[in-house]
Amino acid sequence: MDGIEAADPEGPGPAAIEGPYLLNLHGETWDAHLDRAARWLAHVITAQTAFRNALEIAVPKVEEPNIRQFLSEILDRARRHEEVAHRLPRTIGREAAEGTRGLAGVVMDVARRALDAVEGLAGGARGNWKDLHHLLMLNLDAMGAFAIAEQLGLALAHHELRDLAFDVEAEKSTDQLILKELMLEMAAVSILYGERV
Amino acid sequence: MQPQMTRVSMDALKDLPTPVRRRVDAADVWVPEGYEVEPVVAGLSFPCALCFDEDGTLFFAEGGSTWPTRPYMTPRIWRMAPGRAPEVFAVEDLGGPRGMAVRGGYLYVSLKGGYNMRVTRHDLRTRERIVLVDGIPSGGWHEPGGPIFGPHDGMMYFGQGSVGLQGVVVPEGFTVDLAKHPHAHDVPGQDVTLTGNTVWARDPRLPFPYYAETGPFQPFGTPVTRGQVVKGELKCNSAVWRSRPDGSELELLAWGIRNPFGLAFGEDGHLYATDNDFEEKGERSIGEDPDRIWRIKNARVPPGEVKEPEWFGYPDLCGDGLPVWHDLHRPIRGKAAEPFLENPPPWAGPAVFLFPPHTALGKLTFSRSDAFGFRGHAFVCQFGTYAPLNTNREAALGRGFQVVRCDIAAGAGEPFLRNRAPGPASGTPGSGGIERPVDCAFSPDGKSLYVLDFGNNTANRSYVVAYAHTGVIWRVTRR
Repeated sequence: MDGIEAADPEGPGPAAIEGPYLLNLHGETWDAHLDRAARWLAHVITAQTAFRNALEIAVPKVEEPNIRQFLSEILDRARRHEEVAHRLPRTIGREAAEGTRGLAGVVMDVARRALDAVEGLAGGARGNWKDLHHLLMLNLDAMGAFAIAEQLGLALAHHELRDLAFDVEAEKSTDQLILKELMLEMAAVSILYGERV
Repeated sequence: MQPQMTRVSMDALKDLPTPVRRRVDAADVWVPEGYEVEPVVAGLSFPCALCFDEDGTLFFAEGGSTWPTRPYMTPRIWRMAPGRAPEVFAVEDLGGPRGMAVRGGYLYVSLKGGYNMRVTRHDLRTRERIVLVDGIPSGGWHEPGGPIFGPHDGMMYFGQGSVGLQGVVVPEGFTVDLAKHPHAHDVPGQDVTLTGNTVWARDPRLPFPYYAETGPFQPFGTPVTRGQVVKGELKCNSAVWRSRPDGSELELLAWGIRNPFGLAFGEDGHLYATDNDFEEKGERSIGEDPDRIWRIKNARVPPGEVKEPEWFGYPDLCGDGLPVWHDLHRPIRGKAAEPFLENPPPWAGPAVFLFPPHTALGKLTFSRSDAFGFRGHAFVCQFGTYAPLNTNREAALGRGFQVVRCDIAAGAGEPFLRNRAPGPASGTPGSGGIERPVDCAFSPDGKSLYVLDFGNNTANRSYVVAYAHTGVIWRVTRR
């Protein structure tokens, strides 16, 4: 109304109000939102389980003691993050869908195949260095899943969901830096000399 | 999925499914004696703008990608005709609506955009949408202002704030739009010669946070040299323009306004712009910069006859006209600022109204109605501080979160709408009051003031988050 002439006291009034309006917050609509969010939260469990599984396979094969320690610490966190992933659906009053753990192996295999396809079976690298690259991809996938859970928390105005997801996302972001460093540090000796990690 | 807009009882607003805003209850909101307040619409996601058509139809817009930019929610423009339920009138683009005005059968909308801010026009009858103005450099920290129409000349007035947070692009920007627009930068409205001062910061774009040097009016990571001249452009930013209603005959009125988010003509015929203070953090930290309202004198110059745009101080002056490196603006956190401009234009201040730092001015409107009262006074939304993020001074923690009535001529202001408990509703457990007033407009009969409440937008020491589905429209009426 700025920039027009003075108001006419007899002019039209605002919209008649017979009780306020509510957008997307009444029962059925909101329940549908929560159901859709819960399906994503189930995927968070799957992605995190796949990462934890891959770590459990990779860690015993690592020979370099420092790297083994770094990965063991990441595995400890991964187990804790997986527990958080299972809590996420419950924060919005839902239970995780059945079968999420079973899908984790599929996720692992898909990631490994994608990696092999991209890298031409790791471009000549030998040994278990490839595991680091695989872990990098799986953690990125799980980290993204938690980040999206955070966005759902914000969209649903649900601070508990948002906070839980964000805290994990932040720790996984740090783990991603560690994994990337290890992968890059060891790349040259793996590719040039065929050294194991 | 279609949005579901449902009429409910007032009691239903006291038991909402959104944990960060369980209640919307006018009983927790204070307005002066003789006025009453009530919620009109709740559940909006990041609303930024409302306006009225002359027939009493209310338009209001959800902002899309806002503050911060995640999560994006659908940037819908709603139309609520007298006696009818709200309906979706249009859906805008990603960097969504920030301001709206109705005139002559059209709805005019300013959009934050991506790299470029735009003004669009929607035909109220056919809903045809066209872009009137494009190419205004955006993609950074600050917002479009307007559009509004001049009561004296029928021209369209609008603005666009700066890309840089502190007169230069700094890493904080990458928590908002710069993550999507890493090449965005400020553009001056007049030729400027630079001092060569730059800021050094860690580069958030690179595999490691390597060191990077950035100068003013440059993308992040681009240094400048002493004596370097940056050409002024018509399509600059931190600026206010006018054009014909079809977007033609664009004319730059003013620049150097950090965030001209609120534009309004007073009953005195002058154009006023709200503006936000610099922040006290990071690589070019500035303390105790007051929020302010500017009077843009060039708006009184006949269209096409502006000789020089006015300059209001960005990036080198605070709202009080003192340099950002002045002792009174020395920060208690972060690195103190240095001058950027070797040859600043003459300052167009002083401000007509100064507010305490970090009240975070939103939009403003003027009462033109004896029925409502306070005719000629400005009603200014104070969105509310982002402290302790943008300053760590304890005094700033509760500032804003209200609508203030200002008698600009007398230099006096006082709260007009606020919570009974200080601060936002989310700061008081169980409160159903307001969160962050962002826009306000009077109904065409002048009897009611509608206040748009952005919703829960919480800052802590490290970052800020915004929660969808928590925006509310409030109505204040004189009894």
